[in-house]
Amino acid sequence: MELAYAMNKNSAGTVIKNESLGTAAGNMTLLDAEPGQTYIIKEINTDDDEMNSFLFRLGCYQGEPITLISKKKKSCIVVIKDGRYNLDKMLSEAIII
Amino acid sequence: MRIAFAGNPNSGKTTMYNALTGRNEKIGNWGGVTVGSKEFQLKKEFAGDKEVIAVDLPGAYSMSPFTPEEGITSEYVRTANPDAIVNIVDATNLSRSLFFTTQLLELGIPVVVALNKTDINEKEGTKIDVNKLSAKLNCPVFETVSTENKGLAEMIAKAISLAGTTQKAPYLQADIDLHDKNAVDAEDRKRYSFVNGIVSDVETRKTLSAETTSADKVDGILTNPIAGILVFAVVMWGVFWVSQAWLGPLVADWLVGWIETFQGWVAGQLENSPAILSALLADGIVGGVGAVVGFLPLVMVMYFLIALLEDCGYMARVSAVMDPIFKRVGLSGKSVIPVVIGTGCGIPAIMACRTIRDERERRATSMLTTFIPCGAKIPVIALFAGAFFNGAGWVSTLSYFLGLVLIFLGALLIKGITGYKYRKSFFIMELPKWKAPSLKFAFKSMMERAKAYIIKAATIILICNTVVQIMQTFDWHFQVVEEGAENTSILASIASPFAILLIPLGFGVWQLAAAAITGFIAKENVVGTLAVVYALTSFIDTEELAMTGGANTVAATMGLTSVTALAYLFFNLYTPPCFAAIGAMNSEMKSRGWLWGAIGLQLGTGYTIAFLINQFGTLFTEGHFAAGFVPGLIAEACMVAAVVLIGKRVRAHFDEQYQLHKASKAAKATA
Repeated sequence: MELAYAMNKNSAGTVIKNESLGTAAGNMTLLDAEPGQTYIIKEINTDDDEMNSFLFRLGCYQGEPITLISKKKKSCIVVIKDGRYNLDKMLSEAIII
Repeated sequence: MRIAFAGNPNSGKTTMYNALTGRNEKIGNWGGVTVGSKEFQLKKEFAGDKEVIAVDLPGAYSMSPFTPEEGITSEYVRTANPDAIVNIVDATNLSRSLFFTTQLLELGIPVVVALNKTDINEKEGTKIDVNKLSAKLNCPVFETVSTENKGLAEMIAKAISLAGTTQKAPYLQADIDLHDKNAVDAEDRKRYSFVNGIVSDVETRKTLSAETTSADKVDGILTNPIAGILVFAVVMWGVFWVSQAWLGPLVADWLVGWIETFQGWVAGQLENSPAILSALLADGIVGGVGAVVGFLPLVMVMYFLIALLEDCGYMARVSAVMDPIFKRVGLSGKSVIPVVIGTGCGIPAIMACRTIRDERERRATSMLTTFIPCGAKIPVIALFAGAFFNGAGWVSTLSYFLGLVLIFLGALLIKGITGYKYRKSFFIMELPKWKAPSLKFAFKSMMERAKAYIIKAATIILICNTVVQIMQTFDWHFQVVEEGAENTSILASIASPFAILLIPLGFGVWQLAAAAITGFIAKENVVGTLAVVYALTSFIDTEELAMTGGANTVAATMGLTSVTALAYLFFNLYTPPCFAAIGAMNSEMKSRGWLWGAIGLQLGTGYTIAFLINQFGTLFTEGHFAAGFVPGLIAEACMVAAVVLIGKRVRAHFDEQYQLHKASKAAKATA
């Protein structure tokens, strides 16, 4: 299974886990991700335009990397750009990687 | 000349503003401490002979506001035409901050970038090429450390010299239809890629932000639903214990000794003057105000400890760990911050609700946050703990804990009344980098609050005490009330009708009613008025009182049992806060219905808690219900009926609105 993950390095030197995975592997949300790994955001789906654009301004939008630091049942901590954020379950599930 | 301070939340704007103006505005290590704009003159050493006004604005991520306080910032820089803008950029998060910077640069107002927190970058080995950045942004860039006053003088001098010039933007948004969402999105993407390009050119990092550090392990524990809440409980208990059971009372005992000496001296000076004057000055003014000032050390120690908590970065973690619990009752994790601030003072706590995005959550939080006893209620708690419970620590702990429980119950009630339906409520909170709390800032913040407390004691409380003393001394014919006929005084006749309402609660005497009423002006007045009406002063000097039997004297004079004393204490804690806090509630809620709902809820809660404690406490200790059980029960029934009625009306209105919304949508679709 590990082999299926193409490990690529982006310009910043971070290892991206889901790049070139394509949609065939299925979409997952942040809560399915592995802590310590960096992913590329495929889609943001909050059904709330204002929320989407707020996330955008933090640097959280389609095509940008996001790193999962730790996750719990109802929340997770991520790195977007150079900042750490705590997200609740609903928001974590709205970020498709 | 006006210079606006704008930048991302938690970039250090207010710290810089304080350093440049000598003010002492609230600071803290989380995003959203400043919720309104503040302005003040720059210090002479920075402004020279010019008159320069610095304007501190709430933090914003961009020109399009997301929460109400962000709106203040974009509104100000757009419409108020400041002569220059100082854009404070968090140097540890350049890649996010420059998005807002490029927007500010488009306004035409000269911008100076203050690259703040460069000390953290030095520690982490992140290097930013300032000259290159300045060239790319087309504006001056200065490295600064606000907490150490580094680089501020040069930066602000440059901003002053640029005032009046026109800024040339390095990046201009294309002329697009701003209503077209896709076009706006595309433009924002372009702006971000422009920013990303600059960052990769000027910044070199030794540690990548995405690496897991030891601080992340700490955060993992603090945001863990079990461990994190346990830690929070221990931390808060520690704050209350140190301030109200250990260090605070230690200093207070010493202070009270001095106040009593002073009171004795004043009384001695007035020996030969008329009795009324002596009573007014020695008992009323010095005694009443002294009773309040005596508790100052407890309040000061608490302010100091809370300032340390706010400065280190813990608040963001608390709000993250509490979010799931608060969400269950219809609030948000961000509601925790007002609650913690509310242990100091309810007014900033209510204002801090502005960072909550959802209107219903925002209003509900500002309605409930004052259930947590504020600094002004500490004297009341300490007085009752000392006089009736031998200074037991559990009284204070229980007061705060019950306050928290009432917030949850109140939130559930509001959720029920407003017919809160399932609605998406997202929570996102930046976890700022940990920082060693500055003892200097905590000390300054403590002294600032102590000053405000003393000023309040010397003005509002002094006046109230004097008025109470006069109203108690005279009857309606302005004759001095004779001994034994105290019930004929002006104060007694005004307070007596209210006292009747309080009979089911166990404290239906006019003295206690009067103290509760003056408490609405300022909660410290409860202590001040009790001191005046019962001519008692030494309240908290528990050790000495125990020796002289003073605590018992206090208890006996008031004619309260431990059960009714507790009922009276809680009545004062959970009824509406002071008028100033009600005013703050009014301006945050922007709705009459909500405001009256809040006052009604608080009155009802205070009454109900006192009723339950008195009646069931008496049943438990004496084997029968206390006086006024049936009338009290009727009052309670009326309150329940009112809640049900309001709930029905609000929900009917809600459905109507919802349907109208649907109807208009359908109309649009067919049009």
